Amino acid sequence: MKQLQKLKPASWDHRDSASNHLNTGFNFARKWKLIVLFTSFMALLPLFVMSLVEFGLTHRTIEDEVKSSISKLLNAAIVSISFSKDPGKTAMDYITLINSGEDNDIFVVNEDGTLLTTSFYYGNTGTPNAVNTSLFKEKAGIEKDLTPDKKPVMAGYARIPDSSLFFVLAKSEKGLIDLWFKPRFKLIGYLAVSIVLILLSIMGMATYLVGRIHSADRKRSEALHHAEHEKKLASIGRLASGVAHEINNPLAIINQKTGLIMDLFTLREDFSSDKRLISLAKDVLDTVKRCSTITQRLLDFARHMEPSIEPVDIWEVVKQVLAFLEKEADRRRITISIDNKDTIPNFECDKGSLQQIFLNLIENAFTAMEDGGQLSISIRLKKRDQISIMVSDNGRGIADEDIDKIFEPFYSSKNDHWGSGLGLSIIYGLIKEIGGDITVKSRLGKGSCFTVILPLKNSEASDGTK
Amino acid sequence: MQKQNAILTAAIKPSKNDAMETQVYHQLNMSEKCNVEVPSKILLVDDEKEFVQTLSERLRMRDMGTAVVYDGNSALAQIQRDEPEVMIIDLKMPGIDGMELLKQVKQTCPRIQVIVMTGHGSEQDKKKCMDLGAFSYMQKPVDINLLSESLKKAYKKIKAVE
Repeated sequence: MKQLQKLKPASWDHRDSASNHLNTGFNFARKWKLIVLFTSFMALLPLFVMSLVEFGLTHRTIEDEVKSSISKLLNAAIVSISFSKDPGKTAMDYITLINSGEDNDIFVVNEDGTLLTTSFYYGNTGTPNAVNTSLFKEKAGIEKDLTPDKKPVMAGYARIPDSSLFFVLAKSEKGLIDLWFKPRFKLIGYLAVSIVLILLSIMGMATYLVGRIHSADRKRSEALHHAEHEKKLASIGRLASGVAHEINNPLAIINQKTGLIMDLFTLREDFSSDKRLISLAKDVLDTVKRCSTITQRLLDFARHMEPSIEPVDIWEVVKQVLAFLEKEADRRRITISIDNKDTIPNFECDKGSLQQIFLNLIENAFTAMEDGGQLSISIRLKKRDQISIMVSDNGRGIADEDIDKIFEPFYSSKNDHWGSGLGLSIIYGLIKEIGGDITVKSRLGKGSCFTVILPLKNSEASDGTK
Repeated sequence: MQKQNAILTAAIKPSKNDAMETQVYHQLNMSEKCNVEVPSKILLVDDEKEFVQTLSERLRMRDMGTAVVYDGNSALAQIQRDEPEVMIIDLKMPGIDGMELLKQVKQTCPRIQVIVMTGHGSEQDKKKCMDLGAFSYMQKPVDINLLSESLKKAYKKIKAVE
C-alpha cells in the first residue's frame, strides 16, 4: 500500500483544495481512475481475446499431433503383427519396445476388458474389467478415458486383426498439457510483461494528462482570482474618484468662504485684535487642506494616467525619495541601510509612478516603525529581465489575517488618523500598470518586507495603456 | 488705512450685483488707479454660485476686476459684450462645458488667457486642456495666493504680447 502511495499522482491530494476553492467539483482522483480503467480495458481486451484464441488453436494442434502419433504407432504395430508369422511374439516385442510407463503405456486387452499385459495406468496382467471396452466401437480410434486412479488419459486402440484383442496405447493428458505448456511458457511471460508495460504506460499517461488538467485548472483559478481582485479594485477606484470629485466642489466653497473671512480679518482692525478668530479660520483652512489631500490621493489611486515612459535609473529614484524623507528619518532616528551591490541598467518606465511607489512604501515603513527603527532597501538584478526591490522594516508587522487585505483601498492599520488607507492600493495599481508585481512577507511584531518585482523590458501591461 | 477701510466697507456690504450674474467687470476700488500687475477684466465661469461669488469677491479685494457668469452660453455672450483679459472656467457645467468653452474661446479670441479650475481633474483632462491652449490648470480647492500668482503671470503674458 505504501508503494502505491508513491505512485499516486501529484494532483490526487490537491483536488480538494482546488475544487472546494472554486466549486468546480472536478474530482481529479476519480477522473484518473476512470481514464486508467477505461483505457486499460480497451487496450487489454483484444490482447486477451487474441491470446485465448491462440491458446485454443495451439491446444488443438498439439492434441492432433499427439493423436496422430498414437495412431501411427498403433497402425505400425497392427501392420507388423498382421504380417508377422508369430503375432503374439511380435506384439510382446512391441510392448516391451514401446512401453516406457507413464508416457507410452501400451498394453493388450480382450473384449471383456481384461488386461492381458501389464499396464501402467490400468493395472497388472489379469485384472478383469480394467478397461471399458464398450468405448472401442471401431477397428481403431482414439478416446478420452479416466483411469481407475481418476487420471485423464488419451487412449488409442486398435483391434488386432483376426482376434478379439485390442492393442491400447494410453498417454496421460497431463503429459499432453506439459507438452503444450512448455512452448507457451515464453509467450505467456511475454504476455505478462506486455500487460504490465501497457498498464504502466496507461497509468503514466493518465497521471500526466490529469496533472496537466490539474495545473491548468489551478492557473485558471488563479487568473480568475486575480481578475476578480482587479475588477474589485477598479470599481472601488471609480467610486473613489467619483466621491473625490464631488467632495472637491463643496471643499472649494468652504475654502473660499473661509479665505474670505481670513481676508476680512487681516484687513479690518476690529477683528485683527482677536487673534483667536484668525487662528480658528486658519484651522478650518488647514482641515480643508487635509481633506483635499485625501481627495487628491483618492484621485491618484483612481487615475489612469498615461505614463510618460523614459529611461529610469532606479537608484536615482530611490535616492530622490530618500532625500525627500531624510528630515523625518533624522528626527525619528531611523537608520536606513542600502544594499546596492548589483548594477542595475537603466530601463524604460514611468518615473512618476516609481517615485510614488517608493515614497508610499517607505512612508508606510516609517509609520510602522517606532523611533530608532531600521529600514533596509536592497535592489537585486533577477534573471528573466527583472529586478526586485526589497523594502524591509523592523516595525510592528502585519497580522496574518490582514495580509490579504492590505492592498485593498481604505484598509489601514495605521493608528494615527492621517492614514487614508489608500497608500498600498495605489502602489498595487501603479505596479500592475507598469507590469510588475508586489509581494509581502510579515511577522507580527518583527517587521514587514515588501518585495517589488519590476520588468526591465517594457511589458504588454504598460503597452496596453498607451 | 483710509483706502483699506473703504474697500472693506464695500466688501462687507455685499453689493446687489454679487447675488446675480455681473455684466460689468467690478473692482472694489474703482476710484483708485488700477494695479498695473493684475488683470482688470477677469471673467469667472462656474455653476457653483457660492464658490464663484466668493472667489470673485476675494479677487476684487486684490485689486482685480471681475465678472461672474454661471454657464458657458452666458460666458460667450459676455465675451461678445466686453472681452475679458483672463477667464477662469470650471470644466463641468450645464450646457456648454468647460472644455468646449475653452475650445471656442481659443478659436474666436485667442488673446484671452484661460485658467481652468476644476474639482474633476484627471491627468487626461489636464493634458487636453493644455493642448487646447489653456494658460494653466488648477485643482479645486485652490489656494488664493496660487491663483493670484497665476493671474499675474497670465496678465504679464498678455502685456508681453501687446
